[in-house]
Amino acid sequence: MMTRLIYTILALSIGFASIGQTIHQLIGRNTGSKLLFDGNTIRTFGFAQAFGENPPIPGPTLTFTENDSISLDFWNISQGAPHTIHLHGLDVNQANDGVPHLSFEVHHNEHGYYRFRAPHPGTYLYHCHVVSSIHVQAGMYGLIVVKPADTSMTWTDGYEYQSDVNLMFSEMDTIWHHDSVLLHDYDTSMSHHMIPIPIYTPQHFLINGLSEQQLVDKVEIHGQANSSIYVRMANIGYLANRITFPAAVNAKIIDSDGRPLPTPEVSDVLEIYPGERYGVLLDPGQEYIGTASVEFINLNTGQVDNQQVLDVNIEGFYGVEDPNRKPLRLVPNPANTEVQIYVSPKLIGEQSTIELMNISGSIVISHNRRLVEANSVNLGQLPAGVYTLLLNTESGAFSQRLIIL
Amino acid sequence: MLRATIALIVLCTSFLSNAETVHHKLHLNAGVYTAVDTTTFPMASFNWTTTFEAQNARITLESGDSLSLTIVNNDSIKHGFKIKDKTSGEEIAPGDSIHLTVFFDQEDYATIYYDHLNNSSFRAAGLGGIIHVPSNPEGLFYWNIKDFQKNWASQLVSGESVNWMTYYPDYFTINGRSNPHINQDSMARVVGSVGETITIVIANTGSSVHSIHFHGYHAEITYSSLNSAHIGRSKDTFPIKSMETLILEMVPDKPGEYPVHDHNLSAVSAGGIYPNGMFLTMLIQ
Repeated sequence: MMTRLIYTILALSIGFASIGQTIHQLIGRNTGSKLLFDGNTIRTFGFAQAFGENPPIPGPTLTFTENDSISLDFWNISQGAPHTIHLHGLDVNQANDGVPHLSFEVHHNEHGYYRFRAPHPGTYLYHCHVVSSIHVQAGMYGLIVVKPADTSMTWTDGYEYQSDVNLMFSEMDTIWHHDSVLLHDYDTSMSHHMIPIPIYTPQHFLINGLSEQQLVDKVEIHGQANSSIYVRMANIGYLANRITFPAAVNAKIIDSDGRPLPTPEVSDVLEIYPGERYGVLLDPGQEYIGTASVEFINLNTGQVDNQQVLDVNIEGFYGVEDPNRKPLRLVPNPANTEVQIYVSPKLIGEQSTIELMNISGSIVISHNRRLVEANSVNLGQLPAGVYTLLLNTESGAFSQRLIIL
Repeated sequence: MLRATIALIVLCTSFLSNAETVHHKLHLNAGVYTAVDTTTFPMASFNWTTTFEAQNARITLESGDSLSLTIVNNDSIKHGFKIKDKTSGEEIAPGDSIHLTVFFDQEDYATIYYDHLNNSSFRAAGLGGIIHVPSNPEGLFYWNIKDFQKNWASQLVSGESVNWMTYYPDYFTINGRSNPHINQDSMARVVGSVGETITIVIANTGSSVHSIHFHGYHAEITYSSLNSAHIGRSKDTFPIKSMETLILEMVPDKPGEYPVHDHNLSAVSAGGIYPNGMFLTMLIQ
């Protein structure tokens, strides 16, 4: 009976939240599941926006307007330890900071309001701060974006942009997702806990919760030449990230942790450490199809533990209609034994070199041919993995990532 | 012209009158560290006396001072001593001592003194401390942060080499202490008032990179030994690399008790127990 009443209040609250501009709602769950790129599924915790929703990883992006007064109604519908929301970087008052024993905890079947203002446009995080080593790894995190009133600007008197993309980096160690770790003891009467955590050796390296072939067509940097693309990035993992943008997009680092940099830094390479956020403005002057790389760097050894690749598609020119845009398209992708390379009409008839490069940089397939609309390439028995297809034509060079299953 | 020259001489005389030769003696002591979970492992430190303490001595100078420093090696093996970016490094035989004099002309400057021998093994065993030249002696706090892999401690303190490509630290300290004991160190725990300028000097004398997150406030980076481009940035989270020194300035805009911690959340632990690692709170009244 009690549970039914709570669900009714919850449903009413969600309905109310959907029409309010400053009330947001999150539901903490500990019964999530996540499909990994290797086909395995692990248990997760997370934040959902609707009752019954499998909490996504990362949680829903919360978007506020500068100087909004916000009420965040947080429900905990999960057995076990309480949960909180830490508004990472928003510098809220102590009562709303989401740290157990310094602010408030939300227990199972209860809810609480976080009330705060968002005075600085920028990129922030939210995450549970109860046994944060475990609950963050479990998946209880998401992005907060604060925009100025003029949403075409990065901040008032900042930079104008025409498109944007949010990228959140994290990792997952499947050992940490066993019930023996996730369902830890928690005595709410104690101010200092003693919770065992495993050695951290992640096997999954995530961009917006996805990795490897899961990223294809789901996460990419997309925009037009002669336009500005604002890339917001955050690292909620326990490794560092080194992002390398292609030189063609003219990357400029403009803000960090919700504040403009005093001096913008023109650089194709950016390192982001756990908990940091950065804003980068891309100003491509020409069409470009290629990739950006995201390396995951071990903070203890300095070694690159993993590299993920993001598609970068700069298609067409801002303000100009171009029916021939998208010079290169791979079908299917992922592929098994054969892939078709579709090229734009302006490339048809050109002499070309088609090469397939594996992740080590070795060319495993190379053909010279005159291009037609659909160009078939036999992949033979190449090992499964991430490859880069390189197309050199008389009009220019193009590349695109190809996943072979 | 003559008047200007005289004024310059007076100014210089006034400046030089504050500068002096500051004499200090450091003792290099080997000992046994008792961690927050009562685990013990070998460690070494530079201390003011012959008694081993996990916290290395902190040297504070004024701009224009000459540091006249004697270092006594109380260990039974050879050690070294170097001041980052100031000296080339000297060896000290067991039971022996060395003496050096170093001039510090830059204010709002922080560097690290350490044992440079054996490919960082001795430094990783604990031998590293802070030298700070503040412009304002008020509102200063110091965090000398370190990381340790307990099962390497005996090798490191003996100067043996280890394979750093397999490093996985399991103890994390600030001024020789872990959470919750860090808050008992009045030079580590930031206590201040709204509107007060608080300066925090941080040195990473460990081997890992640490990513420090402030709750409640942003702080401005006013000095970075590794990356001058970061000076002036207002941050709530920032990395500090091995052998880097940072100086942060913070002016709290509201009262509260707020955590500061490593956002590599696997480092908020000791011996695999959360939250006994690099975590403390600030108290602003």
